[in-house]
Amino acid sequence: MTVGTERRTPSESELGALIGTPFPGGEATLEPWWVHLVLDSMLADPADGGAHPVLVFLVATGSMGWSWDELFALFGASDADGPMAGETDTVVYSPLRVGGTYRVSGEIVSAVRKVGRRTGVFDIVGYRLDLHDSEGAHCASTTNSIVFPRRGEQL
Amino acid sequence: MRPTVGQKIPVRIIDSVDPARMKTLSALMRDPNPIHFDRSVASALGLGDRTVNQGPSNIAYVMSMLGNWAGGTDRITRYRFRFLGNVFAGDRLQASGTVTAVDETPEGLLVQCELALDVVDGARVLEGTGTVRLPVDN
Repeated sequence: MTVGTERRTPSESELGALIGTPFPGGEATLEPWWVHLVLDSMLADPADGGAHPVLVFLVATGSMGWSWDELFALFGASDADGPMAGETDTVVYSPLRVGGTYRVSGEIVSAVRKVGRRTGVFDIVGYRLDLHDSEGAHCASTTNSIVFPRRGEQL
Repeated sequence: MRPTVGQKIPVRIIDSVDPARMKTLSALMRDPNPIHFDRSVASALGLGDRTVNQGPSNIAYVMSMLGNWAGGTDRITRYRFRFLGNVFAGDRLQASGTVTAVDETPEGLLVQCELALDVVDGARVLEGTGTVRLPVDN
């Protein structure tokens, strides 16, 4: 699916219709230098290698097939709207390995409009990304939510 | 030694979040969001005059603490967090955790923990849970 650049806040029904939208997906190989530098940047021990569980999110989102801008655009938003991370839930069935190649796939799993007394209207969008190794084994899954403020919108 | 419910995981202190590491991680993640590497953008967005640390780094601080206690990050099987606030360059942080359940399974001991990341003398920025699988003879 190609994401257009037009920005318009989706209606509530349009928002709901986006549930089930698949990510284009992709593939990533855990290069030793990349793993080392990422872990060092996060004050983690590079000796942990691919097993550090935070790598699941980085590999998954890095090869989901869309840039963050494209994912935001699917929901009529951009960086300038101030989208925020809501929650994350990551399951590791088998630790990732340096040198391993992983296929990333996933979909939009939830999208709901809410209104807060102070925050006004906002949308919470959930997405799940799965990592399979080159043998097809399901290695990890990460489910995350993004909060999109809808300033100026009313329910 | 077998973990027990209520046991505290040794805390981890991050003395000062380094803005140079944020820049490196932005490049490695190909994350174009300037709040991680341009103070003027963070300021223009009303976030103050310091760059904002990446969420995965905040999680990594807690996961490394948990992995260090559990005998390796490869023993972590699940984590769940709510993002409650931002971490900024220069912040001093404390990662902490408490064992909430220990279950013996055929695959080993499944240990559930409550986890958190706090700005020292500031707000809580991450709150959640983690699960580790330990050898039964642990």
